[in-house]
Amino acid sequence: MIEVIHFTKRYGDFIAVDDLNLSIGRGEVFGFIGPNGAGKSTTIRFLATLLRPTSGEGRVAGHSVVTDPMAVRRVIGFMPDDFGVYDGMKVWEFLDFFAVAYEIPRVQRKQIIGQVLELLDLTHKRDDYVNGLSKGMKQRLCLAKTLVHDPPVLILDEPASGLDPRARLEMKALLNELRGMGKTILVSSHILSELADFCTSIGIIERGKLLASGSIQEIQKRLRSHRVLRVRVLEAPERAAELLRAEEGIRSVEHYDHTITAEFEGEDADLSRLLNLLIGAGVGVLSFSEEPLSLEEAFMMITKGIVN
Amino acid sequence: MIFRDNPVLSRELLVNLRSPRAFVLQLLYVSFLGLMVYFAWPAGAAGAKQVSAGAATRLFDLFFLGQFFLVALVAPTFASGSITGEKERKTYEMLLASPLDPSRILVGKLLSSLTYLVILIISTLPLMILCFLLGGILLSEIGRAYLLLILAAGTFGLLSIACSSYFRRTSSALVVSYLIILPLAVACIWITRTDNMLFRDFVSMSVLPPWCLAIWTVLVILINRRLLRPPDVGSEGRDVVDEDQEMKYAIGVVIDRDLFPDKLFAPAKRLELMPDGTNPVLDKELRSEIFSQGTLMLRVVIQVSMLLSIPLMAALLFLKPQNSGYYVCYVLTFNMLVGPVFSSGSITQERERQTLALLLTTLLTPGRIIIAKLAAALRVSTVLTLLLCEQLLLAYGLIQELRDRFWFLFVYLAIILMTCLVTTTIGLMCSSLSRKTSVAMVMTYLVLLVLFAGPVGLVRFLEGFTNIREDRLAALTITSPFSAALSVPAYRAPFTLAATSAATNPSMLPPPDPNWIQLPFTNGWSVPVWLVFLAIYPPLCLGFFGITYVAFWLRWWKAGGSA
Repeated sequence: MIEVIHFTKRYGDFIAVDDLNLSIGRGEVFGFIGPNGAGKSTTIRFLATLLRPTSGEGRVAGHSVVTDPMAVRRVIGFMPDDFGVYDGMKVWEFLDFFAVAYEIPRVQRKQIIGQVLELLDLTHKRDDYVNGLSKGMKQRLCLAKTLVHDPPVLILDEPASGLDPRARLEMKALLNELRGMGKTILVSSHILSELADFCTSIGIIERGKLLASGSIQEIQKRLRSHRVLRVRVLEAPERAAELLRAEEGIRSVEHYDHTITAEFEGEDADLSRLLNLLIGAGVGVLSFSEEPLSLEEAFMMITKGIVN
Repeated sequence: MIFRDNPVLSRELLVNLRSPRAFVLQLLYVSFLGLMVYFAWPAGAAGAKQVSAGAATRLFDLFFLGQFFLVALVAPTFASGSITGEKERKTYEMLLASPLDPSRILVGKLLSSLTYLVILIISTLPLMILCFLLGGILLSEIGRAYLLLILAAGTFGLLSIACSSYFRRTSSALVVSYLIILPLAVACIWITRTDNMLFRDFVSMSVLPPWCLAIWTVLVILINRRLLRPPDVGSEGRDVVDEDQEMKYAIGVVIDRDLFPDKLFAPAKRLELMPDGTNPVLDKELRSEIFSQGTLMLRVVIQVSMLLSIPLMAALLFLKPQNSGYYVCYVLTFNMLVGPVFSSGSITQERERQTLALLLTTLLTPGRIIIAKLAAALRVSTVLTLLLCEQLLLAYGLIQELRDRFWFLFVYLAIILMTCLVTTTIGLMCSSLSRKTSVAMVMTYLVLLVLFAGPVGLVRFLEGFTNIREDRLAALTITSPFSAALSVPAYRAPFTLAATSAATNPSMLPPPDPNWIQLPFTNGWSVPVWLVFLAIYPPLCLGFFGITYVAFWLRWWKAGGSA
């Protein structure tokens, strides 16, 4: 549904995005992760037809972003990271404005505006002035605006930035609902745990380069060299730690009370061997598990914190 | 400590004066005035001409007037954005919450706004002294001129800062400042140019300075109070404006969108969805944007312009109807000042308010967006300007000499309408070429000044120092609506003996008419200035519109610029 092919954007000597390739299938929710200044917004603005590439191509629903931006605009709903609203307009006028701008006939408009207001829980704010809304309400209004023409693709740049925890959770629930409606969503965020819950795949970008992309499981698999083991033993934790330290593939071992944490590099077969070793040593293994790699850890490992 | 260690002053001076642009501008300004002196220098290259005291006085007058207009135009441009700029950049609350007291902020803002202007004025002093060397001017006159310029800079600057503290947008503050300054500047010029030297000296040395000081004191108290307890802080200073509430507490003119003529420039808000085929941008501009910052600016504009029009109507239309062209000049000046406000921010504000990305990702084409912006701005500017034409209609109804040539009323109206179109298209063009509204506004005023007032000044200069025939000089003024309005022979002089003798005596050759231009290659065919004015602007406006379209298309719409 969304394809980015060798996209490069330069500003003078500065390379904002360097030869980026990306492919997002129909119905996928793709999380775009990267530190500030990594090139996320540049890529998103390119796909939203707001930025001309230095080189490369982008396709949304088969339409070229570069040569046929109008067709792309018909199929996308775009929500920028920082946006304003028109002063002196009421909520329903704001939505009517965009509905007319998307050439929706009047007979359908009334129903559509009612539906999106209900979906985003804004019906009670219908007659309020948009510039008087809170930040969270404005975010929702902007999301409502992106839905008036029922686009199959949603491109959302930091939709939850600046929101309080409750509004953040509500925004997450909304995005889940949109995913349920079968929309293809490209969403960028700094808050990684937010994306982990509902993204089908992610892409990690830093300094304009896509460092990793794929499903969260795939990325975790690729980082096998940094698996973390957590073992609880009934007795002799020091001995268990000693045993682990002596094994090949174990990088570091720490123990606190009866729990041992070890960084480990190897395959599943090696894990099984380690478990057998500990059981054989008679240290009374209570639990033996691999710590799942959180998105934060994956992100920190991949990006190495190069960009602040 | 108000002057020394003032962080507001240091910051502003640092930002304004460290750019090479400031020095380049000063160089250009002094070079331009220097060239004027060079060309007007009576000795000339051949050294054959006589040094004339008249030439020196004329040059000095031109210098003083030019600099006075510069102060009247530039002081508000620098000062009226000083506080609204903080509001627009959302740094206002931070500034007010700092330990700086309002008087330090005010002094910092005032000095930083005027320093560059005062540097410009003082840098022309050597050129003025050159005129003194020619003779015919007293040193005290030069002193008086500089005193007046400094007083004017201070008063206009403080007035603009006061407006800046009362409004939320620079454009509103700027236009209201200009409207308040306009009558003051005209009165000041009238006082200082009267032939009665004693009166002139007395007023400029003994009356104006204490009056100015009194005005300064009142303004400083008002601004300090406003900065100490600002009512427009909170929600980033952009609270929702309740029109009904505003109407309830409005003093003077009240704008009612349901009544004529108010509904012409501000149609009532919709209660239903837009009909199919509506241009949503036009609808939004007229029904929502126009009063988004409240009605204060428009109410002030209407009231001040109407108040000014009353004495002008009495003096120029009823007491001396032969000066009806000057009343039209007032209407044109009003449009020149107010017209650009509605167009020069229309594209830049979309960018500044971060709504451009939302607009550009819809299916609206650049042509529809630009046409809607032009139509909305043109409508508001034209209706406001035409409100001042009621007086003209009244004069044509009541005064026989004007009624005798009533068809020239249509010429006046055509000139006014054409000027509305020109100011709006140029404003829109500058808006599409700039990134900031303040830059677009200054650019618009500069272009209008060059097209409208520049030719008048140039002709005045050439009249005094060259022997070019008047009808040839008139050809230079075709871009100025002021010259066009003054070239309309709307008034039929009553029958006099002298006029008949001149008409019947074939030996007396009529002097060349300064209001007619001889067309080249036509064997002596002539056309009036107003006709040329009306003929050249439609294609020029089309050109300005073309530039607007191309600039908008290239920079914003065609995936070219990141908004």
